[in-house]
Amino acid sequence: MKRRTFTLGSAAAAGALLLAACGEGRSGGETAGGEEAGSGFEADATIGVSLPWLGTQNWAEAQAMFEEQLKSAGFTPLIQAADNKVPQQQQQIEAMVQQGAKAIVVGPIDGTQLGSALKAAKDAGVRIIGYDRLIENTDAVDGVVQFGSIRTGELQGQSLLDGLAERKGEGPYNIELFGGGPADPNAPNFFEGAMSVLQPKIDDGTLVVVSGQTDFQQVATQDWDNGKAQSRMDSLLAANYSDKPLDGVLSPNDGIARAIITSCKGAGQDIPVVDGLDAETESIKSIWAGEQYSTVHKPTKDLVAKTVEIITAFQKGEEAPATEESENNGVIDVPIYALDPIVVTEANAEEVFADDPDRLALLEG
Amino acid sequence: MNVVKQIFGTDFRQFTMVFALVVLLLGFHIASGGNMLTPGNMQNLIAGNAYVLILAIGMVMVIVIGHIDLSVGSVAGFVGMCVALSARDLSFPWWAALLTGLVVGVAIGAWHGFWLAKIGIPGFITTLAGMMIFRGGVIWLSGSVSVPVPPELNVLGAGYLPEWGPAFTNLNNSTLLLGILAIAFYAWSQISTYRQRVADGETGLNFTAVIIRLVLVGAVLAYVTFLFGSGRPGTSFPVPGLVLVFLVIIYHVITQRTTFGRHIYAVGGNKQAAALSGVSVAKVHFFVMMNMSFLAALAGILFVARATSAGPTDGNMWELDAIAAVFIGGAAVSGGIGTVAATMIGGLVMATLNSGLFLMGVGQDKTQVIKGLVLLAAVAFDVYNKQQGRPSITGRLFGDRRTSESTTDSTKVAPAAPAAPGTAES
Repeated sequence: MKRRTFTLGSAAAAGALLLAACGEGRSGGETAGGEEAGSGFEADATIGVSLPWLGTQNWAEAQAMFEEQLKSAGFTPLIQAADNKVPQQQQQIEAMVQQGAKAIVVGPIDGTQLGSALKAAKDAGVRIIGYDRLIENTDAVDGVVQFGSIRTGELQGQSLLDGLAERKGEGPYNIELFGGGPADPNAPNFFEGAMSVLQPKIDDGTLVVVSGQTDFQQVATQDWDNGKAQSRMDSLLAANYSDKPLDGVLSPNDGIARAIITSCKGAGQDIPVVDGLDAETESIKSIWAGEQYSTVHKPTKDLVAKTVEIITAFQKGEEAPATEESENNGVIDVPIYALDPIVVTEANAEEVFADDPDRLALLEG
Repeated sequence: MNVVKQIFGTDFRQFTMVFALVVLLLGFHIASGGNMLTPGNMQNLIAGNAYVLILAIGMVMVIVIGHIDLSVGSVAGFVGMCVALSARDLSFPWWAALLTGLVVGVAIGAWHGFWLAKIGIPGFITTLAGMMIFRGGVIWLSGSVSVPVPPELNVLGAGYLPEWGPAFTNLNNSTLLLGILAIAFYAWSQISTYRQRVADGETGLNFTAVIIRLVLVGAVLAYVTFLFGSGRPGTSFPVPGLVLVFLVIIYHVITQRTTFGRHIYAVGGNKQAAALSGVSVAKVHFFVMMNMSFLAALAGILFVARATSAGPTDGNMWELDAIAAVFIGGAAVSGGIGTVAATMIGGLVMATLNSGLFLMGVGQDKTQVIKGLVLLAAVAFDVYNKQQGRPSITGRLFGDRRTSESTTDSTKVAPAAPAAPGTAES
């Protein structure tokens, strides 16, 4: 027994020495497969597009437009949506790398939670473009294409003021504020932009937030859930507006805007001035019918076109187009390709949608 | 025929679930144009699903005692957020943040255990309350904003084993070593079981059958080793997978080889009888619930480590993924039946479906429908068999030896070999 132990021990020791002598195993590591800028890839390469979900119209449109525009640019599109579940999006991105995608467009559910999946993609030499939302907490991102989110908020705030002046006569006006889903990095920016316009008017007494809820955390709508926004509006109305009118509501998007209007109708209030975002079908109808005051249109087509333009530059091995803006994502400064959104009201709807036959049809219907 | 039986077990059909898994893997491999059984994809599959499988380990024990835990997703999210916040706001080093998370998990488990074991509120209700409490807690604590976790933790959720030793193997040598150890351990356990049975005077045993089984399982393990080890340099069998294998072995031993494990099955099978036989039902309830939240904490930490940050919606609906894995693995809703190993197979079936459908580019809509149907089919198959008086999938696969050659005790089960927990003995 003793002898056996000894034999084993010496064998192990010899093995360890042998292994140590043989060096560090397979080499390569981090840089394996990594492509530097300038190398490009095939003109018909697979391009992955990972969208958060298809539950709102803008994402469903993005899916259709990526399919169309990537195909017409000669690429092979591979488009998936993740049902708003972060683990699924992580796995989808990894699966896209497995399927040989050369570039992946990511519309993140939570911009901070894709670090490992994106690192694996980067290590495999894949170019990564953030779509519509900032990708944070990782160096594995080559740029983000989005509509300026602070700018969007400013337009929403300004549109609310315009609407109040147009529809509700002289101030002061009673208003309430709503924010978007806090996990979406755009949501606080929308609110910040809107408040940069509204706060001075609150300070000088033109606007009165009757409930007193003006912090983003107080007004945020978890997961952009319309139902939650409607319940919050119901309780705000019940608690604060039994004896006074509500003149206007800041809404972060169209779904929430319609929830607010529904709630006001239910409580017997006159419809307040409500802005929106995304130019959804139902909201365009509502604006055309004189209910919702405005929406901010971020033409998905333009955003997708810009993204495809950047991918094409990568494909040819060129540098990404230069940008004026960049934003620190916690690790690196990410180049931001910011597009300017458009405010749509009853007055200019026909003009804005002149080359968008689907939406134009809504106005005629 | 007798030899075949000894190779594959008393009933060839007992391999149904494992067989289904293999068919799925091969089917998707072909359908996705060879993208399924690649090192990268398998590494992703294990690393990306480790958190659900860890939850399922605890969940099968909860379901065996006849309860259910709806809070695991919320608890995982809450613990992940505690880890992130303690590191960011209290400047804890990564290991202290990790320990904090585990302690919080155990404390939450003790809370659930207290209401179930001492007060007697059914687990369904205790944990439904927990689901709301800790979901609210995570949103409250975080202010609905995602919080980054210490980068050192990333290894735990997305790391690989080191590269070392000779390069001529063309494999990751850490993975190779694990594979060799797994094969050696399996061989040792099979041969010593055989010797034990011969020594017990059992007749009609065929040593050739043992050897054939060894070769077959060894070949599978070798293939798995090759699959995980031959990825891009720098990759290996993933670290979260290693954590999972380690837990599976530990919990397999606890549930199948210890007194406490037998008490779990006794309480789940017939609470009154167990109590009359001197088993402390309250103690079993308490520890199983506490253990569940501990594992949920671990799953939450693994997830945030992989995601690189903790978010307010982490853990949403994870409980349902874990519960699905347990029932596909053949556990009974009424309690008393279900094993860790079978649950892992159930979880891997779901994970494989997910991964394969991603690779084929099938949308989330259809993926959900398919997963729902698979769950229903697996459980229906089980229920049908039970009504026919035949053993369930679980019985066939792992558990009950009542149909076998009588001398072995009814809870004896083959040791789970890493990455191939479905390989049952005779």
